[in-house]
This record gives sequence, structure tokens and C-alpha cells, in this order.
Amino acid sequence: MNSFEFDFHDLEIDAPSIGRLLGYGEGNLYNVFSDLIRELLGNASRVCSVKAEYRIFHAAEWNDKAKTVTLTGVVFRLNDIVYKQLGKAESIAIFVCTAGPEVEKLARQAMEDGDPLACCIYDIIGSAIAESAARLLHDEVRKAAVLMAKNITNRYSPGYCGWDVSDQYALFALMPDNSCGVRLNDSALMSPEKSVSGMIGIGRDVSFDPYPCSLCHRTECLFGNPRRRQL
Amino acid sequence: MEELLTRIARCVESGKTDKASPYPPDMRGNDGADELTKQALDEGLSPARILDEALIPAMAVVGERFSRKEIYVPQMLMAAKAMNSSMKHLKPFFQSGETKRKGKFIIGTVAGDLHDIGKNLVAMMIEGGGWEIIDLGVDVKTDKFLKAVEDNPGAFVGLSALLTTTMENMKKTVEVLKEKHPSVKVLVGGAPVTMEYCEKIGADFYSPDPQGAVNYLKQFAV
Repeated sequence: MNSFEFDFHDLEIDAPSIGRLLGYGEGNLYNVFSDLIRELLGNASRVCSVKAEYRIFHAAEWNDKAKTVTLTGVVFRLNDIVYKQLGKAESIAIFVCTAGPEVEKLARQAMEDGDPLACCIYDIIGSAIAESAARLLHDEVRKAAVLMAKNITNRYSPGYCGWDVSDQYALFALMPDNSCGVRLNDSALMSPEKSVSGMIGIGRDVSFDPYPCSLCHRTECLFGNPRRRQL
Repeated sequence: MEELLTRIARCVESGKTDKASPYPPDMRGNDGADELTKQALDEGLSPARILDEALIPAMAVVGERFSRKEIYVPQMLMAAKAMNSSMKHLKPFFQSGETKRKGKFIIGTVAGDLHDIGKNLVAMMIEGGGWEIIDLGVDVKTDKFLKAVEDNPGAFVGLSALLTTTMENMKKTVEVLKEKHPSVKVLVGGAPVTMEYCEKIGADFYSPDPQGAVNYLKQFAV
């Protein structure tokens, strides 16, 4: 098990990046809200507890027909897209990372105080923290793979790319209890909410794809749909 | 009186909550929707006129601007906050029955999905359209939607999903609601949802933005 605690400043999240997530480009109305974003980002940076853990499984058993992978007896039911990317991996890194519960508390408090804008900004900051933590953890897995003279894949999470969210139970079964303080509810959702879990493939014949959406033709997708609507 | 209604509407459109609010910068130090609504009631304007002639038209302007991408989520939320500061003065009249809402709207993010920004935006805009909102929150199981429909006869239902994998739960919820209550109108939305998907699962309406839902509901307002 490899565990990390990331400092907020290592996450490289700044007010302009949060502004962009809110929809503002450079030089437009974003400036009206820049002071507020900076204030809330400062509050979040002082309280968040960013943690990550990963564990590498070297004996991955692949079933091309059923599109499953079995790690120490635990079966994951992948779909075509995820299986295609991970299926050549010799090892799999299972990971969990979290922004911690603190920023979510700030968001809830803002909503209770009748400030939906602050709630929304805290929510986006929490998501940005969790995604940045996943990016840093991905880099750590890459470093470990380099030492083995191997490559890594993109990271894939249950609930995305058509991979059923119920596989979270299998994923958490392979991590220690209360990994990073993250638990699953009866809908297989993580608490704290601002957490990311998933798999990264490791092997000589795998690669990182900078444009993973190009592999998929789903129109009903958070990422693909808006892009295709523009085309 | 007309001028007061226009000023309340302008505050809501601009997101000017109250006098202390620094937003928008060009209205700094001015009364906001909070103070002006109180003043309007004190001067004898009816809550129904404030709702129908200031808040609803103002939120419609905000919704249309958002649809045209002239404003972004933060400005929309500031407008919703300003509307809430006005609405808090009107709520006692709704509760006493003196002023009627347009109807009830049950909303929630479907089971397996915790995303609520879009759901909250839609709820705020529909409330700004004069409807009573029953917000069931996130990760809402079908049974909870069903109970809310049974507890609130005639209510409309809005389902939100952000994940492709939870859209299946949206489908299940629509199926059960339509089976048990065929006349209930179900609206669906969320980034991955499309008109084709809406039709496929038997929902009644889809809109890519909140104002579309507000406009759709107008025909059913009581």
C-alpha cells in the first residue's frame, strides 16, 4: 500500500482555474467574481485534508469474452471501452483519493446561510481538489511503473465511460477499511463526495491516451455529448 | 408603485441581494431586493403583484440570458440569491394561503448520483417562476420520488443525472412513476441527457437549460 498526503499548494489550483470551471474565459466577466473565488479558495486551502492511496496487483486475470478482470479473486465487470484500454495491462493499480470532508462542509454551510453562489464555488473547488489529487496520484503510479520499465494507462473510474458504478464495491474490497477516510453508501457512492477511485493499467504494451473520448461513440455522455453537439 | 416593482426586478436580474451586498459593483450601496420588497409590502403592494410583475419576469430574463450564454452560473446564482431575499418576505403569504403558487414541483438527482449544482439551478429557476419546490436532494431512490408524488397530488417531477451510468436509474424511476401514476408529468435533464433519451425512457420533457423547464411548466400553472 502506498499512501500520500498532498499539500494544497502542490495541487496547482488557482482562482483563474476555478473561474474557467465556472464558465469564464480570460478577460470576460469572471473578474467580477475573482475576489470572492480567491477568498473561498483561501478558506478551502486552510481546511482541506487531501489524501491518496494506491495498491498494485501483479496477477491480473483477463477474460476477453466476459470483459472482466479478476484481482486476487475479486471480479471487475468492465465494459468494452475500459476493457480495451486496460486489457493489455500486466498489473493494475487500484486507487482512492479524496479532498476530505472539510470543503463539503463549507459548501453545505454556505447553502444553509442562503448563499448558493458560495456553495457552488466551494463545490467546484472540492471537485478540482479531488481531480488534482488523482492527477498527482497518477504521477506517483507513473514513477513506480518507470522503475519497472513499464508504461501506464489513463485512469478509469466506476461510474464513468460506461463502467457500472456498482463495481465500486469490488474496488473498495481490495483497499484497506476506511481507505483515506472514504466509505461507500448503499448506492456505491463515496463519502466524502469529493473523492476519486479507480484503476490504472501498468504494462509494456499499454499507453496513455491524451484523447480518450475519441475511442468512444456514446452520445449520452457528460464529456462526449457537449463536444459532439458543437460538431 | 410601478417603479418599485421595476427596481425589484432590476435587483433580481442583476443579483443585487441587499444593501450590504457588493454585487454588482455598479449598484454598491443601493437598496437590494430584500429592502425593496419589504418597502413594497409596507406600501401596500400585494405579494401576488410582486411575484407576478417583478420576480417571475426578472427570473425569466435571467433564464433567457443564461440560455443565450450571455451570463454564466455565478450570475444566475446571484440572481437566485436576490430572488430568495425577496421571496423570504413573501413566504408567509404563501403559507397562509393568501397568495397562491403556480403549482408544486418535486425535484431530485436520481439514485447513484450525488451531483446537485444543475439540479439546484433548475429548482431555483422554477421557484422563480412561481412554483413551490419540493427538493428531495441527491441520490434519491425511486421509492422516495413515488412517495413525494403520492403526498403531493398534481405535482410535477424533475429528475437530474450527470453520469451515464446513473441514467439507467433515471429510466427506472420514470418507468415506476408512469406505471403507478400515468398522468404525472416527468421532466428530465443533466449533461448527458438528450431529447432522444427523454423520448426513449418515456419522460415528458427535456431541456438543455433551466429556462426551458420554466417555459414548459407555464402551460400547467394554476
